[in-house]
Amino acid sequence: MWQRSKPYLLIAPATGAMLLLFVGGLWEGVLQSLGYRPLVGQSRLTLQFYETLLSSADFWRSLGLTLRVSILSTLAGGVLGLMISVCLVMLAGAGPFKHSRFWRHVFQLPLLIPHFVAAYLAVVMMIQTGWIPRLMFALGFLDQPADFPVLVQDRFGWGIVLTYAWKEAPFIAWMLYPVLYRTQEKWWEVARVFGSGRWAYFREILLPLLLPAWMTASFIVFAFTFSAFEVPYLLGVTYPQMLPVWSFEMYTGGDLTKRPAALAVNVLLAGMAVFFGWLAHRTGRRFGLLEGGRWE
Amino acid sequence: MKKRMIPLLFTVLVLVLGGCMGPSEGTTFSRSLLKKPWEEVVKQAKGTDIRLYMWGGDESINRYIDEWAAPRLKKQYGVKLERVPVSDTQDIINKLLTEKQAGKNKGTVDLIWINGENFHTAKEQKLLWGAFADRIPNVKRYVNRETPDIRLDFGEETQGLEVPWGKAQFVFIYDRNKVKNPPKSMAELKEWVRNHPGKFTYPAPPDFTGSAFVRQALFETTGGHKQYVRGMEDERFNRKAEKLWAYLNDLEPYLWREGKTYPESLAKLDQLYANGEVWMTMGYDAARAAGEIRKGRFPESTRTFVLDQGTLSNTHYLSIPFNAPNPAGAMVATHFLLSPDAQLTKMDPDHWGEDMALDPERLSKEDQARLKNMDRGEAILPSDKLAKHRIPEVPASVVNQLEKGWKSHVAKK
Repeated sequence: MWQRSKPYLLIAPATGAMLLLFVGGLWEGVLQSLGYRPLVGQSRLTLQFYETLLSSADFWRSLGLTLRVSILSTLAGGVLGLMISVCLVMLAGAGPFKHSRFWRHVFQLPLLIPHFVAAYLAVVMMIQTGWIPRLMFALGFLDQPADFPVLVQDRFGWGIVLTYAWKEAPFIAWMLYPVLYRTQEKWWEVARVFGSGRWAYFREILLPLLLPAWMTASFIVFAFTFSAFEVPYLLGVTYPQMLPVWSFEMYTGGDLTKRPAALAVNVLLAGMAVFFGWLAHRTGRRFGLLEGGRWE
Repeated sequence: MKKRMIPLLFTVLVLVLGGCMGPSEGTTFSRSLLKKPWEEVVKQAKGTDIRLYMWGGDESINRYIDEWAAPRLKKQYGVKLERVPVSDTQDIINKLLTEKQAGKNKGTVDLIWINGENFHTAKEQKLLWGAFADRIPNVKRYVNRETPDIRLDFGEETQGLEVPWGKAQFVFIYDRNKVKNPPKSMAELKEWVRNHPGKFTYPAPPDFTGSAFVRQALFETTGGHKQYVRGMEDERFNRKAEKLWAYLNDLEPYLWREGKTYPESLAKLDQLYANGEVWMTMGYDAARAAGEIRKGRFPESTRTFVLDQGTLSNTHYLSIPFNAPNPAGAMVATHFLLSPDAQLTKMDPDHWGEDMALDPERLSKEDQARLKNMDRGEAILPSDKLAKHRIPEVPASVVNQLEKGWKSHVAKK
């Protein structure tokens, strides 16, 4: 009995906390988005907050912006991350490439920095009176610092995309690194025997091995950028706002009657993230991307 | 079957213990404190700890509490004060609201720094402990509680639920070397902005300061603040506000980034000002510019100005939440923070620099002399100039109407 139940008991605290905080929070959020607020004497459930949201042009504009920014961020971070991980493996010496440790630490750096610090750094560096424009001006690349393109609080969201790309690429790289690290030197030798070049080796051997992990990591990044608040808050424009910022503002705005709508936005965000996860999984399976290469 | 039971039971247990404890009445026992003589309150507070939850975004305010007030409170009354910083007072209200919902009768907050919308919400949701203002000796002795700017908190009757701690006033901040003749009215400000495109902007409401700027503009473009003091129904307000939106939209093309976006916070506007990207910033604190100069963030040539028709001012307060674990300690701390010494020190720009909540005429001769001889530096306007240009705040409902209207009439354009 004890032997059997021990593993369950051991994971119970973690599961309990998960259930309480995550599932409980989600449940509470869904309830409140349906207008359930016993404290102000409202305990009837209604879909009216979803209806108003879905019929407002603001919501769709925000959603469009949110999707654009998170898809671009994921793509940029994903491609960059893939490149970094391949570089790292080359430098670490597994496979046809040379050794170095220093670069690993360089690429790890953005992982240590919290998102809001990264966003703040982006402001300090890239605002038109920031470090980069001033430096470029001092070096003679710009006639005046204000000629630097608007990358902070720009309408398109480039500032957000750039910050996310910088921040998430190492994350993706470190998700891919263990996969690459398991490839062995002799594979490269064997590949060479069969007349493979570096590019062919990457395309035929490494890429298929990497894709499943790459898809997963990219999806995590997508789900995060889709619903995170601090970077778009600091780098976004006043209107339109990304959905998480909009929701945050409604929730904390002091007007308690707006809270159900704020939570409805969050529930929709969560729902859409799940939907995109399912979509990614399905497309992945359909094109055989999730099966991965065979190790043996 | 059995092996599934255990984790299930455990989970149920965690859920039950964690979240489902029902509400019960428990704060009534501590309210009896309101009837006890002051000596007893002081005795009960001795040797206890209190937690003061307050907005923590200003270094000099924090230092005033940590380095000046807390050690003296400990020495004089044996009450240990711990300052808990929050980035927005709203967070405390949200916390208390959640605690009320969960029926948690022993909270962690003893004293909060509060006013305006947050007080409105707290009062409406019954998040405050009780009418303790009358019970504090220093309030009775030094505070004139009949004046409207103390009795009304953004138009809301305080009913003794909170005790005035200080007064803040909206001022514009500018660089004397760049702006020779600061504007004296909103109309002049518009002229100035047109002549200096890109050198002015304001934080996007609902930022606290940005929202105050928009109120300021509302009063001047629609004929004064008096009509709003009691709130105004939506329809009439919307008709009135059309002039305000027209004013702000006229301004927009000449703002920073041509008004395509606004700084999301006062901190960002300050940064733009400190970098020289814009030439003016603002603040709901007459002494803030002086503090920023001292920290070396703002240039030495920074000065402040108010408008001829006056700028918004408000009183901010200390209050005790419904589930404060140590209301006696909180009362004693309030008493201490309202002593003439604490209030005059607070007024000194080396400490905080903001106006006191006490009535100067009720102070002793020595304290009045101390007040008169205080040198607050060039970046703070003289007290009487500020006092003459003071207009009261309006109810939270107007603030909400404005913030909502700004979004649809200005931000989206």
